[in-house]
Amino acid sequence: MYNLEFENTIMFLNYTIALSDLGTLSNMGVFSLIIINKAGGLIYQREFQAGLRKLSTNDYLVLAGTFHGVHAITRSITPKIPSVQPPSPATSSPSTTTPAASHSYPNPGVPVTGLDYLETDKFRLTCFQTLTGTKFLLFTDPLTGNVDTIVQKIYELYADFVMKNPFYQIEMPVRCEAFDRHLGAWLRGRT
Amino acid sequence: MSSNKTSRIGEETRVDKVNAELVTLTYGTIVAQLCQDYDSNYQDVNKQLEKMGYNIGMRLIEDFLAKSGVGRCANFRDTADMIAKVGFKIFLNVTPTVTNWTSDNTQFSLIFEENPLADFVELPDDGRAQDELWFSNILCGVLRGALEMVQMQIEAHFVSDVLRGDDTTEMRVSLVRYIEDEMPPEEE
Amino acid sequence: MALSLRNPTLINRDQHKMSYYFTILSPTDTPLFNIAFGTSKGGGDGIARFRFPETAQYMNQFIIHSSLDILEEAQWTNGSMYLKHIDTYPPAAAYITAFLTPSGARFLLLHQPPHLPSSTGSSGLGASSLLGSAGSTTRASSSSIAANPTSPQTEEAVRQFMNEVYENYVKTAMNPFYKQGMEIKSPVFRTRVTAAGKKWL
Repeated sequence: MYNLEFENTIMFLNYTIALSDLGTLSNMGVFSLIIINKAGGLIYQREFQAGLRKLSTNDYLVLAGTFHGVHAITRSITPKIPSVQPPSPATSSPSTTTPAASHSYPNPGVPVTGLDYLETDKFRLTCFQTLTGTKFLLFTDPLTGNVDTIVQKIYELYADFVMKNPFYQIEMPVRCEAFDRHLGAWLRGRT
Repeated sequence: MSSNKTSRIGEETRVDKVNAELVTLTYGTIVAQLCQDYDSNYQDVNKQLEKMGYNIGMRLIEDFLAKSGVGRCANFRDTADMIAKVGFKIFLNVTPTVTNWTSDNTQFSLIFEENPLADFVELPDDGRAQDELWFSNILCGVLRGALEMVQMQIEAHFVSDVLRGDDTTEMRVSLVRYIEDEMPPEEE
Repeated sequence: MALSLRNPTLINRDQHKMSYYFTILSPTDTPLFNIAFGTSKGGGDGIARFRFPETAQYMNQFIIHSSLDILEEAQWTNGSMYLKHIDTYPPAAAYITAFLTPSGARFLLLHQPPHLPSSTGSSGLGASSLLGSAGSTTRASSSSIAANPTSPQTEEAVRQFMNEVYENYVKTAMNPFYKQGMEIKSPVFRTRVTAAGKKWL
């Protein structure tokens, strides 16, 4: 099993290299988008530029699953520091008895996010995870600014044209023509 | 998050407008049709409305998060505030009152001063609808679906409704548990 | 039923009070709703006292339905929803005022002026007075809203009444459990029509 994981990672790296070749050709900024559901399944994949090196469908699925796993791992390895305060007696939850309770994250008010972005000198991968667990992976030129705004807009379009499409089944691959259209139009419009 | 700030998000979040009476009539027609389809078995109608709401909630939550831009709630009290002051404000333009908390902060009531779904409605006078039908039961499902998507399992039901002649319209919401979003099962 | 409340002393005191019979018919002439009430203005008690209490229910419906032909003529010559006074049935001194909703529902109000003092003495009313010509004398009796069904004041008061009923009719029709063309059973609607009657007539 570990072997397979390793292979996946290699493939993932191959993909990123494939993208990085294109960095110089780009003037638009956004290379491609991947959406991963909360179970780690690939539900959407699209390139916004001609000439990107393509992976097979199966490889994309593996990429999505691998990223999902890596993301979860980065979340779980977020360092905790010993807690300054004694465990609060007010919380009645049974979790206070676990050893983790004596440690906390550096900033307890801010939830742990896991991998946010990954950057090479040719491209940048931004991961935005919604509170419902869906992940948007956006591959952009490293010089592209305002990636957060782009991702936010994509999320809105997703909410409008995917989630609100009554015939879209939740957690299933996205085949919504209106989403494709609006997404394409919006990305074209901003360059 | 402070209560005032929550209210402001509810006020400011931009939404497309739609004629309220169209919504009211659409919803009313659905309920009336269900009553007919289920032969006035109101328990089944309640259940079906809840299920429809559940499906709506699971989708609507993304819209809510994308457009309001709010972050994760720190506790269930925050969640309740968010539901009342942002969720209901955005989607129905009402702000129910959050009240009747249990001491362990896991159950609260939403009191609806007004309910746009129930405008013009008079329950059928067959002698049973008044005691059995929860006309706005879809809202319970919406909350359950939406909160399940953000890792909260809840139970919601109406305890009173002005349509039945009660003084208030009250929904009871109980937190069952937080759904831990776990790591993928370790492969051995 | 309020119709049976009839005794000579009351009638004497309420000489200038009108009795009303209001009915809603579907576009296909099915009765959807009806209610009888009396004048409330000027100290009226709001109770209907028709001349022939025993048969008023049927007589009123009969009279109203017999004016439908005239209504159907009037609706093409009059562009407004409120058609005012359209028909009179002299034998019962009954005046019909009509209001048409855009969807074709007909609101019809029958007014019947009260008994004349002369006729109150004889409480036993038979078929003979049904054919009597009480109408002509009544018309001359007074110019108050209640007593003169064709005066401009009356027409204005009825217009207000009709508009208020129309508003409530729309709300009732919006009730998802009400099926178009079915009898209106809503107690809320009945209360509101009663209130409108009290307010304007």
